[in-house]
Amino acid sequence: MAAKVKQLPSRGGTPAEKVYLIEIFKGMAITLKHFLRNLWDNSNLYVRHYPEVQPDIPARWRGRHRLLTHPDGTPKCVACFMCQTNCPADCIMIKAGTRIDGVTEKMPVSFTIDLAECIYCGYCVEACPEDAIRMDTGIYAFTSSNREEMKIGMTEMLSLKGGFPEEEYQKGLEGE
Amino acid sequence: MTNLDIIMVIVRVSISAFVPLCFLAVCVTMERRVAGFIQDRSGPNRAGICGIRAGGLVQNLADGLKLAFKEDIISEHVEHKFLYVLAPIISMAAAIISFALVPFADTLVLDGKSYVMQGIPWDTGILWFLAITGFSVYGIILAGWSSTNKYSLLGALRSASQVISYEIPMGLAVISLLIVYGSINLSDIARFQGQTWLGFIPMWGILLQPLAAVIFIVAAFAECNRTPFDLAEGESELVAGFHLEYSAMKFAVFFMGEYVAMFASSAVIVTLFFGGYNIPFFDTDFLIRNIKPVAFVLLVILPVFMFYFAKWIRRNNRSQYLRENDPRKAEATIYIRCFWILIAIIEVFLLAILAFAQPDTAAAHLLVALMQICTFLIKVTLMLFVYVWVRWTIPRFRYDQLQMLGWQKLLPLALLNIFVTGAIVVALG
Amino acid sequence: MTEMIKLFVNGEEVEVESGKNLIDALEKVGIEIPHFCYHPALGADGNCRMCLVGIEDGRPPVVPACKTLAKEGMKVLLDADNIKKIQHDVMELEFINHPTDCPICDQAGECKLQDYYMKYEGTESRMWVPQVTKRKMQDFGGGVIHDQERCVACGRCVRFLRQITRTGELGLVNRGDDCRVEFFPGRPINNRYGLNVVDLCPVGALTSADFRFKQRAWFLKRAESICHGCSKGCNIMVDHNKEKYEDDIIYRLRPRQNEQVNGWFMCDEGRMTYKLENDNRLEECTLAGAVRPLADIFADAERRIERATKVLFLVSPSASLEQLAAVQALAEKTGATVSAFSDGYIVKDDGDDFLIKDDKAANRAGVDLLGIAKSRTHFDNMAKEADVFINFGNDLSRSLSEEQIGRLFSDTWVLNGATHPGQLGAVMEKKVGSSIALRSWSEYHGVVVNCDGIAQKFVGGVMKNVERPDIVEMAAGLGSPATGTAAAWALVQKKIPALAEFGGFLELPAEGVKLTDNEAGK
Ligand code: SF4
Ligand code: SF4
Ligand code: SF4
Ligand code: SF4
Ligand code: FES
Repeated sequence: MAAKVKQLPSRGGTPAEKVYLIEIFKGMAITLKHFLRNLWDNSNLYVRHYPEVQPDIPARWRGRHRLLTHPDGTPKCVACFMCQTNCPADCIMIKAGTRIDGVTEKMPVSFTIDLAECIYCGYCVEACPEDAIRMDTGIYAFTSSNREEMKIGMTEMLSLKGGFPEEEYQKGLEGE
Repeated sequence: MTNLDIIMVIVRVSISAFVPLCFLAVCVTMERRVAGFIQDRSGPNRAGICGIRAGGLVQNLADGLKLAFKEDIISEHVEHKFLYVLAPIISMAAAIISFALVPFADTLVLDGKSYVMQGIPWDTGILWFLAITGFSVYGIILAGWSSTNKYSLLGALRSASQVISYEIPMGLAVISLLIVYGSINLSDIARFQGQTWLGFIPMWGILLQPLAAVIFIVAAFAECNRTPFDLAEGESELVAGFHLEYSAMKFAVFFMGEYVAMFASSAVIVTLFFGGYNIPFFDTDFLIRNIKPVAFVLLVILPVFMFYFAKWIRRNNRSQYLRENDPRKAEATIYIRCFWILIAIIEVFLLAILAFAQPDTAAAHLLVALMQICTFLIKVTLMLFVYVWVRWTIPRFRYDQLQMLGWQKLLPLALLNIFVTGAIVVALG
Repeated sequence: MTEMIKLFVNGEEVEVESGKNLIDALEKVGIEIPHFCYHPALGADGNCRMCLVGIEDGRPPVVPACKTLAKEGMKVLLDADNIKKIQHDVMELEFINHPTDCPICDQAGECKLQDYYMKYEGTESRMWVPQVTKRKMQDFGGGVIHDQERCVACGRCVRFLRQITRTGELGLVNRGDDCRVEFFPGRPINNRYGLNVVDLCPVGALTSADFRFKQRAWFLKRAESICHGCSKGCNIMVDHNKEKYEDDIIYRLRPRQNEQVNGWFMCDEGRMTYKLENDNRLEECTLAGAVRPLADIFADAERRIERATKVLFLVSPSASLEQLAAVQALAEKTGATVSAFSDGYIVKDDGDDFLIKDDKAANRAGVDLLGIAKSRTHFDNMAKEADVFINFGNDLSRSLSEEQIGRLFSDTWVLNGATHPGQLGAVMEKKVGSSIALRSWSEYHGVVVNCDGIAQKFVGGVMKNVERPDIVEMAAGLGSPATGTAAAWALVQKKIPALAEFGGFLELPAEGVKLTDNEAGK
């Protein structure tokens, strides 16, 4: 896609502009216009009345992580550490062990993400060879009064459900 | 000294000391909400006590509480702890007392005695203001130096040199004014501006001395360290400049000092250029002589004004999204009732005056003084609005541009202005 | 000096050592020929065909590099189209039935198949018939786990067990895509070097049960060290890592090549010594039973040494030359006696004719070089006279029973510098005046001399969360003139002239310095 280039004339050369004040007053007129409009009727403000009005989250939104399971409920993750290796914030902490549910050989014993350190880049999702981790829960706000609670563990991530229908999520991936 | 004398001293001092402090709330709220509106957002409108948000005032209360209860940190590396603590106090104190000589009403005559309506009844006038604002920069320099932090020190250096470069054009602008007014006493200056030209043009400083007005206002912005001249704290390059190491209440004192200084310089600007406490077209004598019609006009205007004000509150104080039993509507009703009660009280007072007061009595003098105080405060508020308005319109200057403007533009212009003014005054005799 | 010959690779002239096959000769000058089955220690087998190279004007024109001696004037082709095609096709063949388990394969990151795929193939699979599946996670015994699907049938493991250990537990059975490695029924791998096959296997078909799934290879930090398990001093790589919020621990030890000492291998017991470095370490320094800062303990001990009539130092026979020299210097200054009594480190008839030695001390030759007494009688006599006894990391519990130790030091003030609890026996340790937790060999640098008189340097890369002093620092804290490893090294150089030519210990050559019998003081 070619970038759109708009050439703006360079300003500030004429004597009138060099006096500054005229230009400053012009600018002030613009801001005053906005001020008066909003003072007169504040329904024109360009704001979302969060949290009462919630934003619409698209399927590609990178929210809180979840771990996916096979249809039989066993985790898809095989503890390959690709996500941990790629995580630029170094906030994924996995401990691997021998698999006990008979799916393959390896599985995570513990899988922790420190959401306070995560930068929500989505590299972990991209790196995963098993489609075992996604950020499609649609949960975008999480707060806590201490750091420990910002670490989410394997059980919690396995229990989270996706926030979007599968087709919509896949369509989102195609766009990339 | 009679009892009346003592009461008047207390009244005047407390007005000149506490009005600037009370205006802090106005300044901060205005700063935030005007910034919001200019940028098409709403500014703080959430914090409330039992749903009463008072248009954002409660947010200030919350912030004030927060600052008051925050841990007051003095970093280990600060060597001169005493100077470090002293710095914000200097800033704040200088800002408050710089307002002391500004008259907020015409000389009040009670029982045949006249009382100058300013905090300290001295004649030094504008010189006092120049002296004290120059002093307030010590606070900034001390803060920057004693913080033992290079950002702070750079901020303080900038601030010091900025104040030096802008005090000169400011002083020169004042000189040309003095040539016109013929006095340094601010009460005299305000009274001078109460006259009219050809019967309908008020003889305000801005009309007599437009160039001096521009220079003075620009320099006043610089003296207050306000955008576009807030290089001392330029957060993009100096993080927060001189108050980087300050936290909690010490930071709050700096912050308040800045707004009080803004208030004081607005007051001086109003006094010098916008007629001070004078109600346009009506000088003090006229008002005192015609006290009954004046009271009557007020009696009529106030309810009409309130009616439209109530409408405005109703329109804007509601939730902008679907909400059942919108509590903000109930809130608006409360506001409107409160205001109506206030208006009713004032109406009763005015009725009493209408019924009993004679021209040129103490009551008439008091009413006029009150009206003038209100006028003065309204003018100051408008000037404060200009401060805020400029801040949210103009980006910060670069440091060399700032110095260039001060020395290469404002200084020659101010000198030129003095010569021209002098020549005209001499020519007109 | 080996003779040098000139040959051409892709038309460019290179100079290589003679008498080597092409793979080894060119590797020395930094040119890689891909190969699976050839290993310098096991010789060329020629079964994988990955190493085929072209010889211009040669007969035949394509030869396996592993079986071809480098000759003067040879014109080797590595980037000819037909060679590239051969490499690509061999790789494709290997991948036909390969499970590509990389996400769960421990070899990922150091796997030849992965590396060569990226380098020589990089195409998608053309297979449309189902892959042949074989057994996975098969226990081969001896801590080795086998994955038949990942095996590329190079036979390295089989050859190792036949040629080196001569136990021959494994064999390649069947042919074609049913070819696999098996042990003879009822006779799993059972020898003291079995885990070497894990290193030899170029792919992830053989993995170590002990290391399995503990870490991905790319997380591991490497430190070139010397095994302290016995006096052979096998060259090893310490693979360690500090995970977030956790301690720096060692995950595995791997042999490092050194022709003079261990060749390419190490024994299984040596591999497992890393556990001692990780677990059950002494953490705290105490003075009269209470945890105290190191400086207090040093000050107290220094005062006692000054007042004592007779002081005895006991050093570990595994301590590095620098550490020994530092303790010696301290002894000279304070008039103390040094002993390296460590009879218990020698385990009779444990050694063999390959790597394992009876003597489990890493630096006994160094003790002798520096002239430190180590006899039992000397130690007993001195211990009886001494009223202050300081242990520098010697595991005395190996040599003496708890009662014996208790009797020897019944009225002696004892400072115990140790890496692990129990080195003076549990009973004695409760009574000691002070104790200092010491750094262990994976945490400091130094030089040790092995049983054959070869002085070898090693680097300690592990950085534990708990700060501990090493023996040099402990001696310095007690007043030794050797205030650091550099100063101690200077003392060592004075005593052992053969080492004088090397500035710092890091300048020692990688293969070690062979000290002659003369220098070894014999
Ligand atoms: S989103 Fe980015 S930062 Fe967060 S866990 Fe995934 S890779 Fe790490
Ligand atoms: S990349 Fe996927 S399969 Fe691998 S450890 Fe992370 S979540 Fe598990
Ligand atoms: S042997 Fe190599 S290519 Fe095969 S699964 Fe293991 S790492 Fe991957
Ligand atoms: S198990 Fe490994 S070493 Fe043994 S034949 Fe297979 S690939 Fe080669
Ligand atoms: S290495 Fe030469 S054929 Fe395998």
